[in-house]
Amino acid sequence: MTTKTVLKPDVDMLARAAGLDKALKQFPEDVALAAQSAASARSAAGELDQVAAEPWPPMQVRK
Amino acid sequence: MNDLHWLTAAELAGAYAARKVSPVELVQSLLERIDALEPQLNAFIKLDRDAVLAQAKEAEREIRAGGQRGPLHGVPVGIKDIIDVAGQATTCHSKIYLQNIARADAEVVSRLRAAGAIPFGKLSLHEFAIGGPSFDLPFPPARNPWNRDHHPGGSSSGSGTALAAGFLPLALGTDTGGSIRNPAGNCGVVGLKPTYGLVSRRGVFPLAFTLDHIGPMARTVRDTALALDVLAGHDAADPGSAAISHGNFGADLERGVRGLRVGFVRHFHEQDVPAHPEVTAALEEAARQFTREGALVRDLQLPPLQELAGVSRIFMLAESWTVHAPWLRDRPGDYAETSRRKLMGGAFLGAGDYVHAQQRRLQLSDAVNAALRDVDVLLCANSLDPACRLDDDAELARTYPRQARSPFNLTGHPALALMCGLSTGGLPISLQIVGRMHDEVTVLRAGAAYERATDWHTRRPPLEKTGKAKRKPAAVS
Repeated sequence: MTTKTVLKPDVDMLARAAGLDKALKQFPEDVALAAQSAASARSAAGELDQVAAEPWPPMQVRK
Repeated sequence: MNDLHWLTAAELAGAYAARKVSPVELVQSLLERIDALEPQLNAFIKLDRDAVLAQAKEAEREIRAGGQRGPLHGVPVGIKDIIDVAGQATTCHSKIYLQNIARADAEVVSRLRAAGAIPFGKLSLHEFAIGGPSFDLPFPPARNPWNRDHHPGGSSSGSGTALAAGFLPLALGTDTGGSIRNPAGNCGVVGLKPTYGLVSRRGVFPLAFTLDHIGPMARTVRDTALALDVLAGHDAADPGSAAISHGNFGADLERGVRGLRVGFVRHFHEQDVPAHPEVTAALEEAARQFTREGALVRDLQLPPLQELAGVSRIFMLAESWTVHAPWLRDRPGDYAETSRRKLMGGAFLGAGDYVHAQQRRLQLSDAVNAALRDVDVLLCANSLDPACRLDDDAELARTYPRQARSPFNLTGHPALALMCGLSTGGLPISLQIVGRMHDEVTVLRAGAAYERATDWHTRRPPLEKTGKAKRKPAAVS
């Protein structure tokens, strides 16, 4: 899901997969807005100029 | 002494030492003011009058016996109610945590106690530090002393309100996406988000582990530095704590800014997310003021504000979802509507989104670090609009994301908010000064120079004109 538009069947499916059945039943509008918010943040996060960029923080062993 | 409630922590230390005022006199004066004004402002969730008076008496006894421990001895400090104080509930302003009694002090509270400060009540906030001003919670939202119909900012709302109202000289806030700097800005006081890891998070309920900061709020830059001297330091029990030593954060407060290189991040508020014209004008005037003080001000380019904020939001959503998922599944109706909407967002992000954000975080942090190699501090906007009405949901939703704070939660750089103007509606406007990692000394130096050159920090909200309330606030016992 990379576009700003979030389809309701997708939202419902993802919400159930996340265990949000109760919220989906009681607060469907809130669930839809939360999904929209996630999609919006994802699209604002920008693209990488190199796919192999190291994530932060790099793996470090514990002593 | 008159107007004890407006004395700064630094002034109090001198007054205590000279026996011009005592901690008990101060606390009694503050309690009287709180009794009169708190019902209009809702800054506190809980304030135990007997406990704070007992601590004031103890401080008074120690100071009079020649045992003044330092500048915060006998100074009241308000505690945001997401920070543990042993034996008291840490409600997080939520129905979910009403009975959450803290077994031990948070590290920051332990440090304040060791310095002789008086933990002075639990201050209201946005639910779990992420909601908004909500009327469907067990406690009412704090109100802005400059105009009680307007938003005091959040999530450390009670901290900003209490300082601007003259209830306290110091308060603790937490800042995950700007929650110290937003109320500092909206209430016309000072707030510092320190470098990530400088102040321990132990005993503070998490919102987003990699963005969470704890820091001081005050009415002057000097008081902010004094509080940071006490709060900062390594804590082995906080895995994010920085293992570095530090000295006196106020060391350069008198140094001025002649020759200081200031990078003005104008594109944040001019191109990326255009600010309200009065905010733009105040920032331009602040830049000119720095120039008049001898600073070398020039425009400076960072990555786009939307991108910095967008990546920060991925962390906020993903990490806060991790914390709240069990409650959101079982008792979603116990959250305020605003909090529920914000906290469920992480359910719709994937592992790839989080890793992608981690990759972007490294790049964006490198870009900010690179910019700070050419200048000593950054000057940029705080909120991009004056505070809107507390009950205007549409305007809250529009203006809340219009800010330049969250970039520095993402990168971890220290950022100071302080007042730089008043809107035509009589509401504070604020700027940010951002510095290199662990260079709070320079950030505070620049803030102190600006403060000396202007009179914004001497302005007071027109509270007295609103008249005194007749009833005693329910939260004060």
